[in-house]
Parts: sequence; C-alpha cells; structure tokens
Amino acid sequence: MIKNVIIAGVGGQGVVTAGLLMSEAATENGINVVMSEIHGLAQRGGSVSVDVRMGDVYGSIVPKGGADIIIGFEPIETVRALSRAGRETLVIMNTEKKTPISLSMHDKEYPPMEQLLKIAPDGMVIHQIDAVSLAKEAGNYRSVNTVILGAALALGVLPFSRENAMSALKRRFSGGLYEVNARALDLGIEEIKGQRNIA
Amino acid sequence: MNKFKQLLSGKPSEKLFLLGNEAIARGIIEAGVKTATTYPGTPSSEVGNVLYEIAKEAGIYFQYSINEKIATEVAFSSAISGLRSFVFMKHVGMNVAADPLMSIAYTGIRAGMVIMSADDPSMFSSQNEQDNRNYAEMAHIPLVEPSTSQEAKDFLKYAFEISEKELVPVLYRTTTRVSHQRGMVELGEIPQNKTKGYFPNEPGRYVALPVNSMGFKEKLVKKMERLKSVSETSPLNRIETYGSGKYGIITSGEAYNVLMDAVRKYRLDVSVLKLGFTNPLPESMITKFLNDHGDVIIVEELDPFLETKVRMMAQMHSLNTRIYGKIDGFFSMSHEYNPVTVAASLSKIIKFETEKLPVEIDISELPPRPPVLCPGCPHRATYYAVKRAVKMSNIKDPIYSSDIGCYSLGVYDPYDEADIMIEMGSSIGVGGGISKVTNQKVIAFIGDSTFFHSGLTGLANAVHNESNLLLMVLDNRTTAMTGQQPHPGIELNGMGEPAPALSIEAIAQSMGVKYIKTVDPYDLKSTLLAVSGALKNEGVSVVIARRECAILRDNEMRAKKTWKTYQVNTEKCGLCMNCVENFSCPAISIKGGVINIDQDICDGCGVCAETYVCPFRAIEEVQ
Repeated sequence: MIKNVIIAGVGGQGVVTAGLLMSEAATENGINVVMSEIHGLAQRGGSVSVDVRMGDVYGSIVPKGGADIIIGFEPIETVRALSRAGRETLVIMNTEKKTPISLSMHDKEYPPMEQLLKIAPDGMVIHQIDAVSLAKEAGNYRSVNTVILGAALALGVLPFSRENAMSALKRRFSGGLYEVNARALDLGIEEIKGQRNIA
Repeated sequence: MNKFKQLLSGKPSEKLFLLGNEAIARGIIEAGVKTATTYPGTPSSEVGNVLYEIAKEAGIYFQYSINEKIATEVAFSSAISGLRSFVFMKHVGMNVAADPLMSIAYTGIRAGMVIMSADDPSMFSSQNEQDNRNYAEMAHIPLVEPSTSQEAKDFLKYAFEISEKELVPVLYRTTTRVSHQRGMVELGEIPQNKTKGYFPNEPGRYVALPVNSMGFKEKLVKKMERLKSVSETSPLNRIETYGSGKYGIITSGEAYNVLMDAVRKYRLDVSVLKLGFTNPLPESMITKFLNDHGDVIIVEELDPFLETKVRMMAQMHSLNTRIYGKIDGFFSMSHEYNPVTVAASLSKIIKFETEKLPVEIDISELPPRPPVLCPGCPHRATYYAVKRAVKMSNIKDPIYSSDIGCYSLGVYDPYDEADIMIEMGSSIGVGGGISKVTNQKVIAFIGDSTFFHSGLTGLANAVHNESNLLLMVLDNRTTAMTGQQPHPGIELNGMGEPAPALSIEAIAQSMGVKYIKTVDPYDLKSTLLAVSGALKNEGVSVVIARRECAILRDNEMRAKKTWKTYQVNTEKCGLCMNCVENFSCPAISIKGGVINIDQDICDGCGVCAETYVCPFRAIEEVQ
C-alpha cells in the first residue's frame, strides 16, 4: 500500500504543520511515512508545498501523476499543484483566495474560480471547502489546516482513522487549542460528508 | 511537547518522526560531540535551530560563527584539543570554509571532526547547485553520504569513527531532500564523556609551514590509502538484489531513494550497490560488481562523481562492462532527480514500459507567486525610500549591487533594486569595483548578518581604494531568511546567553567612513533625507536602516497584545495607486476599483499611512 499526498499553499498558512499532523496520524497507525517540504526563499507569502508519502516507499518526492490526493490551501496554488495530478487524483481545495502580488500590483483581478478550474481536466472532481469559516466556527482562524485535514480524511483514502488524527492533535496541542482543533477536524469531516451526500 | 527536547530526552530504541537535520542533531549527541559550529544556510539551518534550544543541556558548546571559515577554524580547535567537533553549512558555505579545510586535512586532528555540507540540487534556495563531493577529493578527506533520516543520524556516528581512525576530518554530504526529508528514526545511546579538552603542545604538529606541509601531504595520502580497506568492508556500502539482479546499479544519497521507488514500482531485475562511504571508494567491491554484471548504471545527482571513478576503475582493470551514466547522456547533469525522470532514463537502458502520464495539465497561464518581502518587512520601506531618493536626486542610471538574504527579494518588481548578486558579501566588493570603472552611482545593499559574514573586508577594501559607493546596511537585528538566528551584531550568542554586540556604526567609522547615518526605515522622511544626503556624498557612505524583522516584532506584539492594523478610508482615497504599485505590500490590493487592506495579513507597520506613500492620508489605523 502506498498513499501519496501533495499539500500546496502559501507561506504562513500552516502547510508544513498540516503535513506533520497527517504524518503523525499515519505513524500512529503504524504506517511508514516520509515527508518532504519545499519552502525556499520566502518566510511568508511564497508558494509552499509538502509531499507526504505513506506505506512502503523510499523517496520523499511524489511522482508526477502519482498523487492520490492533492490538498490545496488556496485556489491558485491548488491548480498549480494539479500539474502533478493523475487521472485518479482526488482534490480538495480551500476557497480562501490569497491574491499574488503579481496581480494586485498591476490592478489585475484574481482569476474567477470557473476560469481557474477550467485548467483541470474534464471529469476531475475538486471538492471545494470554505475552511476559513469552519476554522472560525471551531474557534480559531489558525486551525484552517486542521479543518482541511479533516476534509481529506473524509474522502476515505488516507490510511488512518479519525481517532489516529485526534491523537496526533492531542500530541501537538494542549488544553483549549486541542479542543478547537478537535472541533475543526470534525467540521472538516462533516463538510465533505455533506458534499458527498449532495452528489 | 517540544520535539527538540525529545531529541535529548528520547531513550534508545524509541522512534521519532524526524527531519533529516533533526536526526543529524540527535546524531551529534549520540556521537558525543562537544563543539558544534555553523553559519546558518538553507538546507542546513535546522541543525542549528535544534542545537540553539538544547546545546546547554546536552553539554555541547554551540556557536553561530561569523562565517563558515571561522566556524571551521573553531571546530578544528576543539578537535585538536581532544574533543569531537561538528561544523555544518550549506554547499556555498564550503567555498568560504575551503581555505582552512584544505590545510587542516594536512595537519590532521586529535579527536573526530566532521564537516557537513548540505547541497541544494535544483537550487530551491541557492545561487548555484555545486556538487560538494568534489571537495572531499580535492582535500583528500573521507566522504560519507546518507540517504534517509535514519541514516542521517547513524552514518554520522560512523563518520566520527572513520575520522578518529586516521585522525582526518570527514566530509558529510547531504542534499535538500535528505536534510528536509522527514522519516521515522530509531534512537540510540547517548554516551557520557569528558567535557574539557587539553591541547598538548607538540612543536610543529599544527604548523602548516612549507617545511612541515611536505610531510603532511605524504601522510595524508597514506591515510587515504589505508582508509581504502575500511571502505571495502564498511557497512555503509552494501549490495541489495532484486529479482534476478541482472543489471547492476551504483548509487548514493537521495538518488538511491528515487531509484528504489522505480525498482519497486516496475519490479526491475537489478542489484543495487548503495554507497554511503564514497571517498575513498571500495575499489575491489566495485570492480567485482562490474565483473558480475554486463551492464552497470550509475545513478547519482549533479556531477558524475562516482561515474568518473567507476569508469576509471573499469579501465584500470581492463573490464568490458558496459557503463551507463551522465557522461554518455543517459542521465541529466543538472538538477535533482525525481521518480519520473529516473524511471524514464532507466527504461532506455533496461527496456521496460514506464507508465504514460495520464494527464498533461498546462499551468503556464497561472499568475506566478514569487517569494515576497513579508507584510511589515522593514526592507520594503528601505527599498521604497531608496528608489524615491534616487529619483529625487535625479540619478538616471544607478547600479544596484545586492547581496544574499531576505533583501535579495528587492530584485522583484516594483523595487528592481538588485542588478548584480553573486555571493555573501559580494555587494560591497563588486559595487566598489564597478564604481572604479564607471561614472554611475553605485548603491550596495547588505544585511546585518551578511555584513559580519563577509561585508567587513569588502568595506575595508572599498574605503582604502576610494570607491564611490553608498552602502545600505539593512539591519533587521537577525539572520532572517534562514529562521531568525543571532549574529555578532546581536546581544545574544548561540548558547542563548547574553553576548557583547558589535556596532556597525563604530566599525564603519573605524574603517574611515565619513558619512554614516542610522535611520528607522519605518520613518520614511528621515530615511529619504539620509539616503539623499549620501547620494550627494563622494566616496563611501554608509546608511544603516535599523528596524527589527517583522516576524520577531509579531511575536512580541502578540505577547504584549499591542497588535494593530490599518485600513483604507475610501472617502479620502484618491486612487493614485502609489501604495499598490510602488509600495506593494502583499496586504494592499485593488479590488473592483477600491483599494483594500487585508486585515488577516496586515502587520500594522503603518508605513503605508505616511504621506510619502499615501498623499491623501487615506490609510488609517483600525480602531
């Protein structure tokens, strides 16, 4: 069993922490994990991506076309990561837009969602999620990454359970912060379940 | 729980999910290292971030040295006093350290000394992708290359054993994907050993005068000859066989990981000679391997380091083995390997069907997201002020000489204030030189940490040779780009203890600079005045723009609950677009003809509210 995950977003959004939480949840379930993080020059505001590979793997780089899930923290970055998607790849996208300065500076609008999503091949299902609202509902804007982790978990292809994820949260957060993140995880799970019922 | 503390408290056989660099930090502890030194550089920085937290408790002396040359000299001083030492840096740092390295290889040491170079194939955060394995060959020192987080820790201990066997420093080479890979690591024992060294004076032993060095070189060559037999039986070099093992593959480092994914996926019939001890190479082992296979493929990133030697061995032993690699064009000479490219290269030799990529998605139309200066970054204000001052001074063709650090991002639109950028400290050396051969005004930028790293000598050179240069020292009170490490301008050292800080003003003054001004870049008016004045000045001027890094300030403001943000009063806004187009903070954007400040990322620096950015005074503090 090998599960490949790509997490993409913007520096400062908690992309690396999301990768860590996922890795810890999988190791909690006794699964081998390797993770690779690319956060080059910028402290904040640049593109950041993390590869998480679970199971019988050696290298930490998800092969092009080999991602089981792409988790995007931001629409443009999600679509950028699609260049590494395959036909079977599931996609979750947080709808929170972060306008790159290359646009805002030149009075250019953030591309409309329909135009962005047109880049994706026909038939690819992209689950959209307003993780910011759900994180705020859970009690903290900064728990966006836990909401998204919950959403990924609800797709049913990650090799660990909600309980594994909860114990990963417990190890990382304590007290009130754990409570907020536990709520955030469940809100993410419920959101995707709801979407699936609609479909 | 703090994972860094776990690195110290973790018991033998306990397993932790560790970054390669964190595993190396644990390896340092398990190897009984007593002195560790560095100048921070990605992808090696996290080793230092761990040591900064736990060095004292671990009984290690840890130093953020002024540069890699000094870091190497300090580590050497420990190793000749009988205490194990570890010095780590990014690949280009090795160029700075090369001067002492070449000679300490000659003199040798008295306790284990390991020098880590974290190379950066594909240049995720570097100016080039040099393959530092070549340094091991040039210096005649042993070379060890781990592949995984587990090996990153375990091989380090082995490297110290090799170092002590022949009392020669060992080069420990990782790459970005090894240093920045996370994996499960089983911990080992932490030894108890002595904490104070002693330097017994043996006349001439460490004096690299020609009369001595002649003998040193011969001894060094003999050491490496003897280490050949160690390499032959080293557990770091092993053969793994898959299927019928028909094709031979020789590999090392991260290339092994990527290769193995292809071997498993396509069920290839190969035997893999995985090399971890790569200088001196196990020649008998390799020639036997060549003899056992009709076709041998060399899979390694960057330079054909192994390939050249393997081809040489085949020639020396008159072997007919067909060898495939970079030199004959089967693999790329540039950039890191990935599972797809390695499988594609292998399939040209082994003949198997690689999977067709199922979809080709064109993302070329997506707006780019280059790294940007953070919201609230004081450098943005400095770049803004310098550009305006240049314009106000009617200078048409300024030359901006830039340097390595966050402020390298001044290269981007709309600042465009980096015409040349080569290496640490080059802004002053190159800028000073250009001013001698052109009549253009040269403005050099350097950060505070970089100023100490290698700006000092450049400044001395520029003053003495009467260059005509404005040096902007962007002093944000930290080494920001690599993650907020201290440097000699800060009243804190690598052990987290109070330390005497060096004054950039006093240094410039003592070097003979006449025009020295220190400004707060958040105060645009005084910054503009200081820069304009300097631009009128002949000779070397120094303007120090001092304001702490926004990330440091954020932490403080959160703790003190003094966080504030700004918003645009749309009734006052004249839509002149200056804030958006020229100041260009990521928090400021225009949406539907209205200028907006994103409250989630506004850092509250308030520079955009100054009349020099907003002449309409439309940007106001959120009450």
